Amino acid sequence: MTAARGELIAIEGVTKRYLTSSGPVEALHDVSLSVGEGDFCTLIGPSGCGKSTLLGMLGGLVAPDEGRLLVDGQPVTTPDPRRVATVFQDAGLFPWRTALQNVEFGLELQGVPAARRRRTASELLGPLGLSGFAEKYPRELSGGMKQRVAIGRALAIDAKILLMDEPFGALDEQTRVLMGEWLLDIWRRTRKTVIFVTHSLHEALFLSTRVAVMTARPGRIKSILELSMEYPRSVESPEMAALRAKLWSEIREESLRAMR
Amino acid sequence: MRVLWLRLGLLAALLAVWEVAGRAANPLLAVPPSAVLPALRDLLLLRSYPELPASLWLTLREIGAAYMLAVAAGLGCGFVLGMHRLVGRVWGPMLAALYAVPAVVWYPSLMLFFGLDAASKIAFGFLLGFFPITLSVLAGVRQVNPQFVTVARAYGAGAVTVFRRVMLPSMLFTLVGGLRTGLALCVIGVIVGEILGSKAGIGALINHAYGLLRTADYVALVLVTLLLVVGSDVLASLLERRARQWTE
Repeated sequence: MTAARGELIAIEGVTKRYLTSSGPVEALHDVSLSVGEGDFCTLIGPSGCGKSTLLGMLGGLVAPDEGRLLVDGQPVTTPDPRRVATVFQDAGLFPWRTALQNVEFGLELQGVPAARRRRTASELLGPLGLSGFAEKYPRELSGGMKQRVAIGRALAIDAKILLMDEPFGALDEQTRVLMGEWLLDIWRRTRKTVIFVTHSLHEALFLSTRVAVMTARPGRIKSILELSMEYPRSVESPEMAALRAKLWSEIREESLRAMR
Repeated sequence: MRVLWLRLGLLAALLAVWEVAGRAANPLLAVPPSAVLPALRDLLLLRSYPELPASLWLTLREIGAAYMLAVAAGLGCGFVLGMHRLVGRVWGPMLAALYAVPAVVWYPSLMLFFGLDAASKIAFGFLLGFFPITLSVLAGVRQVNPQFVTVARAYGAGAVTVFRRVMLPSMLFTLVGGLRTGLALCVIGVIVGEILGSKAGIGALINHAYGLLRTADYVALVLVTLLLVVGSDVLASLLERRARQWTE
């Protein structure tokens, strides 16, 4: 299924330990994963299983203790916004910048001239559903809007890869479902490769081409599900129901281990 | 508009109270505004103190030197202490303790070290201005949301860009507040230093006037000093506005 697409991301035997006051803790143990170009790959697993750490490594913000990560065949050592854009869990918008200026941020750091980056950012606001909000500051926006601005900031730099760390985790259920549909639409139009961290079974099944289930700490890849159903997907279809049951049984096992 | 009228009304009322109380008091100790006005005129026409312009200029230069030193040292120390957690934790309480000591207690030794001339005034102004600036930088650095630094780094920001685009705007209000307080305290330090012991400067004139019980001249000099202080704060607020434009 994914073999037909070229491999874009390769995670090879990555291990990460953190030093805490009670000694070293292994966050990730020997994780390997390969993601094809254009994939929507979801990482799901119990809290503290190192999903965010893995994402941070792909973004070049965290260095692995062992193993390596390749993007386009090149090892990731530092953040490279030309290839990878990140959307963080709690938006992380700069409160002293307007929505438009926040979307422009990445382009500004890349030295894109003011007029051009303004145009790029303005054109993005429409599909983001933020047309009338260019001059608003983050505090004047709802949670869903803020997260869309953050996604706009990531899309503006037009990197191939979009890393999303529980982007809708802080939103209410309804907004969350709508944002998922909206993201799907964006993904299908822009053909980005997305790595998406979530706790939500619904999001994983509704959005992904593949789902990687991670184990409780130290995080490993427990299993990988390939989802080949057409979009938009109906959660009620028997196929989805079966997948959901399967996914839940795997996650349940790990979540129980994490709670112990 | 209404506020302006109310302010003027309040000012007039205060002057009236001062006039009445001033006339009733011993003329050697207190003077009413009606006596201050001629003294102020004599002062500004350089009749009572012909050395006024030279004194003001000296005081201004002392303030300028003290403030520049305080800003440089305050920003430097503040950022070093703020960025290096360990150094900050070792020195932080010490700074706060030193700040709590009434700075005047250091002045005699400053005079011994730096003499009666400008140097001891500059040192004292510096000492007063340095602490609020350092402490505001320290507080400002702590205000920076680490998430914002991570975001900026993810989008390719190096250390300098993180500083300019994230740290400065995050801490701007605290920092500018500290710089303003620092300036006010530098002014106070220099003038107090001059009053406590000096041969020249506006403080020396004030000292001279009240030492000779030339109360009207003394009050006129205080009014000129007031102008100086208000002027420096206006200047600081202009700089504040510039700083805000610069970070946008």
